[in-house]
Amino acid sequence: MNAALLQPAFADPVLDAQRSFRAALKALAGPGVMHTLQAAQRPPALSGLDSATHALCLALLDIDTALWLAPAFDTPAIRANLAFHCGSPIVTERQHARFALLDDSQLHDLAGFDLGNDRYPDQSCTLLIQLPSLGGGRSLSWSGPGIETENKVALPLSDGFWQQREQHNDFPRGLDMFFLADSDLLGLPRSTRVAQAAQERA
Amino acid sequence: MNPVTDPTIAARQRWIGVLARAVGDELSRHESALRDAEYQLIRAPEIGMTLVRGRMGGTGAAFNVGEMSVTRCVVRLADGRTGYSYLAGRDKPRAELAALADAHLQGPQQQHWLAQLIEPLAQAQARRRAEKDAETAASKVEFFTLVRGED
Repeated sequence: MNAALLQPAFADPVLDAQRSFRAALKALAGPGVMHTLQAAQRPPALSGLDSATHALCLALLDIDTALWLAPAFDTPAIRANLAFHCGSPIVTERQHARFALLDDSQLHDLAGFDLGNDRYPDQSCTLLIQLPSLGGGRSLSWSGPGIETENKVALPLSDGFWQQREQHNDFPRGLDMFFLADSDLLGLPRSTRVAQAAQERA
Repeated sequence: MNPVTDPTIAARQRWIGVLARAVGDELSRHESALRDAEYQLIRAPEIGMTLVRGRMGGTGAAFNVGEMSVTRCVVRLADGRTGYSYLAGRDKPRAELAALADAHLQGPQQQHWLAQLIEPLAQAQARRRAEKDAETAASKVEFFTLVRGED
């Protein structure tokens, strides 16, 4: 480990990790609703990771959670800091990962991640997907558990991604995802049904 | 545990051990000198528990002795040197000073710090240990079996 690359993490390790965990929980419980981390609970910037991504890594990863890194995040600084503050082993094979850190160049192919099994669907891999922004894409209608009627979400994602998600969703097995940009996060659990909005509102 | 062959690692293990065994105000006496550098807390002092394991006679199967509280800290000086500390107990300021000492000891001033800080501490610890050993030895009882009455 290169000690010169290390930098501080949460200012208040216990409370900030709990606040970030709470935000992640709410994001998955109410899919499609944007949550913003408060300035005080954001960890200092780590080159390549947005503050929401960094906060979720610090809150969710520990020594028992193997992590898969997309090539864009596989830098010495990110490796050193995650190894130091989280202690999570970094794996090269997707199927061994409990968490995976992806950028938008990886979204055309979600093959290989562990979907869990019918007895323990909770053992699936959770994807942390960092995007340039959480808006500006085509508006889609999300519905399902945690959504009263429907949520309109306009993530900047290609059709290829939605096809991949459909392909790797065999309920109760499937992938839960967090979309992260800057200090915002948005959850997409496997149970959410995504349909193209019937009518575009002008 | 395998003995360490690298002399720089062995030397660092020694001073980290000496710093960990410092008691009372032995470290805070040097506080102003230790803090006289620009530094950043990479891991602010934090208190946690660690499981102590042992082996009967040093060779038997491992068993859990119990848990103890440990305070750890990591600092980085302005020139990039990092200092680590792990201390028994719950004393955050002492953990920070020990980490600072470790960082200073890896720098060009190593001989100065060894002479000023580590050697006096090591001597004091050796003295305490010898006193304790002498006290214990004085109360030692030897049991002899003179006749076992076997014949």
